[in-house]
Amino acid sequence: MLKIENLHASVEEISILNGINLEIKAGETHAIMGPNGSGKSTLAQVIAGHEDYEVEKGSIEYFGEDLLELDVDERACEGIFLAFQYPVELPGVNNTYFLKSALNAQRKHRGEDDIDAMDFMDIISDKIKLLNLKESLLKRPVNEGFSGGEKKRNEIFQMAVLEPKLALLDETDSGLDIDALKIVANGVNAMKSPERSTLVVTHYQRLLNYIVPDFVHVLVNGKIVKSGDKNLALELEEKGYEEVIKEANE
Amino acid sequence: MKVLHKIESDFEKTIANSGSETKGIRIDNFNEFKKMGIPTSKQEFWKFTNPSVIKDFEFTLGVTNDFEDDKFDIVIVNGKLTKKTDNIKVNDIHGSLGEKDISNKIFEKTNNPFINLNNAFSTDGCVISFEDNVEKEISVLNVIDNTASKQITYPRIIVNAGENSNISILEEIRFLGSKDNLVNSVTNFDLGEGAKVEHVIIDDYSENTYHISNVLVKQKRDSTFSSYNYSNGKKLARKDFIIELKERGAHCDLRGVYLADQKNHIDHHTIIEHEDEHCTSNELYKGILSGKSTGVFNGRIHVHNGAQKTDAIQSNQNLLLSNNAIIHTKPELEIYADDVKCTHGATIGQLDEKGIFYLRARGIKREEAQKMMMRAYIGEVLSGMKNSVAEEKLLEKIIENIPEGD
Repeated sequence: MLKIENLHASVEEISILNGINLEIKAGETHAIMGPNGSGKSTLAQVIAGHEDYEVEKGSIEYFGEDLLELDVDERACEGIFLAFQYPVELPGVNNTYFLKSALNAQRKHRGEDDIDAMDFMDIISDKIKLLNLKESLLKRPVNEGFSGGEKKRNEIFQMAVLEPKLALLDETDSGLDIDALKIVANGVNAMKSPERSTLVVTHYQRLLNYIVPDFVHVLVNGKIVKSGDKNLALELEEKGYEEVIKEANE
Repeated sequence: MKVLHKIESDFEKTIANSGSETKGIRIDNFNEFKKMGIPTSKQEFWKFTNPSVIKDFEFTLGVTNDFEDDKFDIVIVNGKLTKKTDNIKVNDIHGSLGEKDISNKIFEKTNNPFINLNNAFSTDGCVISFEDNVEKEISVLNVIDNTASKQITYPRIIVNAGENSNISILEEIRFLGSKDNLVNSVTNFDLGEGAKVEHVIIDDYSENTYHISNVLVKQKRDSTFSSYNYSNGKKLARKDFIIELKERGAHCDLRGVYLADQKNHIDHHTIIEHEDEHCTSNELYKGILSGKSTGVFNGRIHVHNGAQKTDAIQSNQNLLLSNNAIIHTKPELEIYADDVKCTHGATIGQLDEKGIFYLRARGIKREEAQKMMMRAYIGEVLSGMKNSVAEEKLLEKIIENIPEGD
């Protein structure tokens, strides 16, 4: 599905990614872990298509096509979903209207008609229960006045409605209490399918108890220094990044 | 000044044909106008809008051609009433003076030369009188037929709202052409005790137009005036709202959206006179400017001596979509009472790129995302409108005219 080769990226001439190699196959869940400032979030942003990041070298293939040729909205329409670390508040933009516009934009891209209003409401009420969100949030402006937990759950709610092929979860666990964490993880797990892949970016092993990864990668200074299965996350938790990095360098 | 010469000969004709009851006061106004002359940008009040650019034009008095639109209750063409409704009392100025619906006092000269000039010329006009306790929604089409070049028109609308009446007026200012006309309009509102008036203005775009407009509002005890004003930039556009909260408990909401692109210009001056205790005012104006356009917002709040417990809120926000667009924004507070609450704020910014990225990351195209953001930005101004038909029409018009960024 996704194949990243020797990816170098920078922002304002500061290089952040220094040669990433990563392949994600359909149905797989990968976790990217690493200390602060290692480039985890940048990787998610670059895959999603943020224009502030300059890709200097390397390639990203998505279903065999050059992903870097596509704008952020085209990538979204092709099935890439970024769950934001800091979801943006949009005063005056109604949440339901926003979701419907997004869904219809993606349907249009696929050559489908706009969704029927009743069908849309069915999907919405179905998925909102999954994330245990209050229906009243649908009538509010996007993320405005939402609590931290509500914002994160709203991201996964959007993901559930848009049904992406590749989900990028950028520190979705930060700021969540244990109950909210479980709800978010349930939402993500409910969507697991052989066609859908997930890339989880996180600091802590905690989230990975609930969203169990097939692969764990340790990112340091913009490079993947170690890869393994879910046990690598436990090892990191136990020994800390420094120890694992030292071992990797030996 | 060529402009004065032509206006003077037109005035002689106008006055010869006007009723005797206003002759004296019109001459008085005209003399005052001549004495003051056309203002220049050397005067603080006209700093960013220079009407003297018209000084070498020879404007001819606009004529009224036939024009119909069944969708409106009242139609005015170049200042002359051409369609009335049976629903409410509508008359021209001459008739209204005769029936004592209005008095001469309304034409008393002021310190604004353009109001004086309108006072001198507006013999036709349109007077709408709402009786006490009525509840009405009406629509007015104010047509400017600028298909001929260098015309001057003086639309005058006078609205009397009886005690405890509840009224919504949608006024659409429609330009039929694109010639270099000068439109000098005055609208008066007189609100009786407890009256509630909503005034929605849809002022369309018109190239080459010089538009000077004054909306003058007098409010009695416990009355509410809500203005929703949408303006498009023009060659020169200067719109003043002067609200006099004359008795305790009066409240006004002034809300506006202005758009300008290319080299167009739009200037709003609002003046709120807090003359008595316990009056409140709430003002929110938002602008979107692109190209090399210029916007001006000057919001004056004047709290008179003894107007205790005044609560006045003012906010002006601007989006600049290009590097060459300019906004001059200035609050002006003058307070002579000590137990008052006045807040004001002005912002100038660009569209929130983080918000646009968020929308795009969900598959929405940049152009659509920008429109959604601007729609949201404007939506706040229109919230609270009573007349939902007018609200929809207004929003639709605004969305259609939002300028393109660079």
